[in-house]
Order: sequence, then structure tokens, then C-alpha cells
Amino acid sequence: MLITSLLMSINQLLPVVILLVLLQSLLRLNSRVLIATAFVGLLCSIIYVQSSAWLSQLFDYRGLEFSQMLLCVIVYVASLISCKQLRLFALLAIVAVMSLYFSHYFIYLVGFWHNTDTAKNLLIGTSLGIGICGSFGVLLLFLLHSVRARFGVYPLMLFLAFNASAKLLIALDLASQIDLINITSNYFDWRAVLVENSELGRVLKALVGYEATPSKTALWLYLAAVLAFIGTSIVFTRQLPQKEQS
Amino acid sequence: MSNCLGFISLLLFSVLPFSCVAKEYKLILKDHLFYPAEIIIPANTKLKLLVENQDSTPEEFDSFDLNREKVLYPNRRSVIYIGPLSPGRYEFFGEFSPNTARGAVLVEGKTDADN
Repeated sequence: MLITSLLMSINQLLPVVILLVLLQSLLRLNSRVLIATAFVGLLCSIIYVQSSAWLSQLFDYRGLEFSQMLLCVIVYVASLISCKQLRLFALLAIVAVMSLYFSHYFIYLVGFWHNTDTAKNLLIGTSLGIGICGSFGVLLLFLLHSVRARFGVYPLMLFLAFNASAKLLIALDLASQIDLINITSNYFDWRAVLVENSELGRVLKALVGYEATPSKTALWLYLAAVLAFIGTSIVFTRQLPQKEQS
Repeated sequence: MSNCLGFISLLLFSVLPFSCVAKEYKLILKDHLFYPAEIIIPANTKLKLLVENQDSTPEEFDSFDLNREKVLYPNRRSVIYIGPLSPGRYEFFGEFSPNTARGAVLVEGKTDADN
């Protein structure tokens, strides 16, 4: 239970931390605003969790996937628009990603917290996971600030493009899961090189959406989404005043 | 901006193929165990898994091999589509109880390339 809690914490918290750090580095968000956004995100997650059991039974048991796909698309689009230095959209992306990931996490925590046999290990594993994600986030923040100081905003936008496009891969898997689309069988098999459930695999999955067995559809979608994001964000950046471009 | 978003939507939808009919299969989760633990299906077949969680705690159906992840709410039914798949073994597990809730989809038969 301790290891499971630790892995759950990392799987669900790390993507949120990464997006938050990325957007903070790109837009220099105010700490008070970030704290307020975190509260709103937590509130939205709780509301989503409370309604998810009911949602899961709608639309021939596909309601939950539809809502999750919507959240993924919101994260992608809001992240893209935030490249125009529109902070409101950055905050929207953060709230959406918190609702998407924290809902899973709360279901797990609430489901096993009441069991006295598992509560202690749950608490320790969760605390360790939060600590690991926090440390990772701080290191990533320093790295991104250093990259921005040396090379400007474009590398950060590239990183954000990969991270946001990874959410569309999640949406694609969800669409396939509820038979909205047919996905081709696996095109590559990189499990011999790096499996998804290894430590590095999990980090790369959270960072850029790494999949050990991607389908052809997933690869094309990812490429199209990244290129569309980069192209559009460059156009947005050039429209900004010179001061805001650096 | 609306033109850009329209272009993005068109680009994304152009790479997405659409769906066809699936065979149903019932999977039960009870006492943090999947029944049956192995599901055998022919190659290139789409499958509609009707997963019934008979436990009082939630579970998360997770599979890196199948690219599937879904929360199974207590005493509720869920639907997960998988396939069409090439011959091989595709493992799945309960993320909340990974030591006990484990299973696999065994895909048998020849692919089109073998015919």
C-alpha cells in the first residue's frame, strides 16, 4: 500500500506540477494568484469527484470519458492561448489539469482512507509522493528560469507544446476506450528500450506524453498537435510588444 | 484566432479514423481480483469489456499494453473497448490493488501479414 500510494501520488501530481511550473516560467504568474488558482482547482476537483460516479453511468457508461476528453482539450487550448501572455487562460489550464488528475487521486485517497489497516501507509506514501513532486517542481522551475534567461521564451513554448499535446494523446486513448474512433495497432514497440512504468518512463510520460507502444494515429496526432501549437504560439508571440517577448 | 483554432481542429480530425461493431465480454472485479484473469480473443477483433466492480471500494482498471485507464466505481458497471489487437499478451491490472487485481488479454490467431 505504501508503494502504491507513492506511485499514485507521483502519477497524479507530477503532471499538474509540471504544467504549473511551465506556465509560471512562461508567464511569471503572481504567487497569490497561483495560490487562489490552486484553491479553485481543488474545489473543482472535489465537485468533479462527487459527480463522477453519476457521470460514469451516462451516455451508455461513457459520460466520464466525455468529460475527461473535454478537460484534455481545454488544457491544450488554454495552454496555447496563454502563449499570448493571457494569464487567465494559463489559470484555466491549471484548474482543468487539476480537475483531471486530482479527481483520480481523491477517489483513491477516500476509498482507502477509511480502512485502518491501510491509512498509515497511505499517509506515508502520499507524503513521500508529494515531497518528490515538490522537489521535482522546484528543480524544474530553476532549470526553466535559467533556460529562459539564456535562450528566451521559445524553448519554454516548445516544452509547453510537447506537454500540452500529451493531453491530446490522453483524449485520443479515451476516445478509443469508448469506441468513438478506431486506433491502429501499435506502430512502434519501445518497451525493450524504456517501459512506461519504470521511473524514467513515468517522468517522461508526465513531461512529454511518452508512450512505449504508440499507434500510428497517436504519432500523427502528436506531431500535428505539436506543430500546430508551435506555429500558433510563434504567431502569438510576434504580435506581443517587444518587452513581453523576452 | 478563430481561424487558427478552426485550422487546428481540421488538422486534428483529419488524422482520426472512426469506429465499427464490437463483441461483448463480461469481466468481474471481486475481492480485488479479476474474474476471469485471462481473456482469450481472436486477432483483429474489437472487444467491449463490461466490467462490474462488485467490491465496496473503487478500483482503477489500468493497462500500459492496451493504453487503457478507467476508474471502476463500487457496485457499478463500466465499459471499456479494446482492440483490434495483433496476436500477443496484453496485461492489465488494478492500479489501487496492483498485487492482486491482475489479468491479461491473450490474442490468438494470425495477422493479415501471415496469410
